[in-house]
Amino acid sequence: MSQEPSAISHEPKAMSQTTIPSFLLRSAEKFPEKPAVFHGNKSLTYHELSSLARFQAYWLISQQLGAGFRGGILSDDPFEYISAYFAIQLAGGIVVGLNTQTSERSLKTLLADSGISVVFTQKKFHRYLAPIASQLPALKLIVSDEELPCNGATSGWVDRQATLREDLPIADFPAVESEDIAQIIYTSGTTGSPKGVMLRHANLVANTSSIISYLHLTENDKIMAVLPFFYSYGNSVLLTHIAAGGSLVVNQNFLYPNVILDEMVEREVTGFSGVPSTFALLLNRSAVNKYHFPKLRYITQAGAAMSPKLAGQLQKVFPAVEIFIMYGQTEASARLSYLPPADLERKMGSIGRAIPGVTLKLLDRDGLPVADGETGEIVAVGDNIMAGYWERKQETDQVLRAEGLWTGDLARRDHEGYFYIVSRKSDMIKSGSHRIAPKEIEDILHEHEAVHEVAVVGVEDEILGETIKACVVLKPGVTCMPKELILHCRRNLPAFKVPHEVVFLNELPKTATGKIIKQQLMATEKADG
Amino acid sequence: MNQPISKIRSFIFENFLFDADENSLGNDDSFLEQGIIDSTGVLELVDWLEETFNIKVQDEELVPENLDSVSKLSAFITQKTK
Repeated sequence: MSQEPSAISHEPKAMSQTTIPSFLLRSAEKFPEKPAVFHGNKSLTYHELSSLARFQAYWLISQQLGAGFRGGILSDDPFEYISAYFAIQLAGGIVVGLNTQTSERSLKTLLADSGISVVFTQKKFHRYLAPIASQLPALKLIVSDEELPCNGATSGWVDRQATLREDLPIADFPAVESEDIAQIIYTSGTTGSPKGVMLRHANLVANTSSIISYLHLTENDKIMAVLPFFYSYGNSVLLTHIAAGGSLVVNQNFLYPNVILDEMVEREVTGFSGVPSTFALLLNRSAVNKYHFPKLRYITQAGAAMSPKLAGQLQKVFPAVEIFIMYGQTEASARLSYLPPADLERKMGSIGRAIPGVTLKLLDRDGLPVADGETGEIVAVGDNIMAGYWERKQETDQVLRAEGLWTGDLARRDHEGYFYIVSRKSDMIKSGSHRIAPKEIEDILHEHEAVHEVAVVGVEDEILGETIKACVVLKPGVTCMPKELILHCRRNLPAFKVPHEVVFLNELPKTATGKIIKQQLMATEKADG
Repeated sequence: MNQPISKIRSFIFENFLFDADENSLGNDDSFLEQGIIDSTGVLELVDWLEETFNIKVQDEELVPENLDSVSKLSAFITQKTK
């Protein structure tokens, strides 16, 4: 940046301390020259990042899109993503991070549903945007590094460089309150079509502050960020480290895990966040055992239930690192509970207890509390609970009720108040007179040495209602027969929980965040024996 | 076209690129940069390499230098089967 900061370094008058952009502005004031984000061999300091966000915010304000406009970001460049993120909020807008694994159809659905009026993107995504632009009346501006053809569209292309001009008149940022919607995050849709979760500034601020406190994040922390920012876990990794004044080393391409490991060593990261498939890949298909990470102090895991076996393996490979097993959902900004690292062994399989500021209840179908040891649905109360689903009142009313946010996760609680997930409500298999949680069967199968990954689903059956099918991905180079795995289950499970069928697959169908799409497995044909 | 290269190209087209146009994949195109394969795709690719060419890929060899283009894969296979 060539311009001297003095003309634009004043704190925007209207920006409350309890809004998300204040995190960036405060960190930029305290640590202007510190690198905030690394990507490849480039980096941006806090001052540079803050300046980019301000310039783009000034430009957005000049476009007069209206209070609460939706700004979409479709980009795999972390510098562009992060600066646009804060720019949209500084300008009084709502961020909609868009999945970069997309298609014309899914992009059109999201853009139409959220009424995005400006999208920040790159040339590589033009092939999805150009054909649909003319079918999106709300879309006015497409900011990109190259012009794109939008025949018949009401939208216009804007060169990204034009939004970064340092000579735009300095505007007052619009007044943004903590109750205003800051972001819409579309859920990954493992159960039905994606819904837009509306998160207020207050929700994200509360969750960010709580996570920082239990992870003990400081400005000395540097995280290896491999998760996409457009989902709530990656989003919270971004916000927590910016708020703490720490740094992010971003490499969201997990194609070659050894490359990520090299970067972790080179950049001396102190933290790493992943979902279960991240760790499965690292532990089974990388040279992680040959690396040393002297500066690594914390690993976080969330996104889906990780098998106790995988957690145990992780502990063995990283004995000196604090491992935080965490639980939550997009509807809770991200985080609802965590398991303190010191409890990992004695409470293996637990998701821990509520994070600071959150209350977790276990209720039966009638909304009454269940006793310790009994199964109930997790219902959450806290400042992090969403405002609702974007323009979906019915779905909102189903989960946001008098008692709190009904998470759809069934769990039990031990006498020390530690929670254990039993199942996603919708994953329960009803076979004969039994309701069976697939997770228990999956955990048992994970203990077999041949198994890399497994998902257990119910398949429609005339007589039983549903039968139990185990879809297994074997470890590379290992052979195994279905009979062996069924025998293994028979030795470890009650008879009614033993899978009726075991199929071997090359891979399990997953969403962009690595969550297994069980619906697809219910329909799948046997791939190979 | 040498044998490994044509086999590799067939595999990539059949499993990742449903575009029938031969010209859409250059032998030196980076899978990483072009977004041709995702992380589970790489594992599938490696399994296929091991089966088809009767080699064992070590964990340390799972790096872009060996795997990240048709040409690099071919050179890697040639070196492993010497």
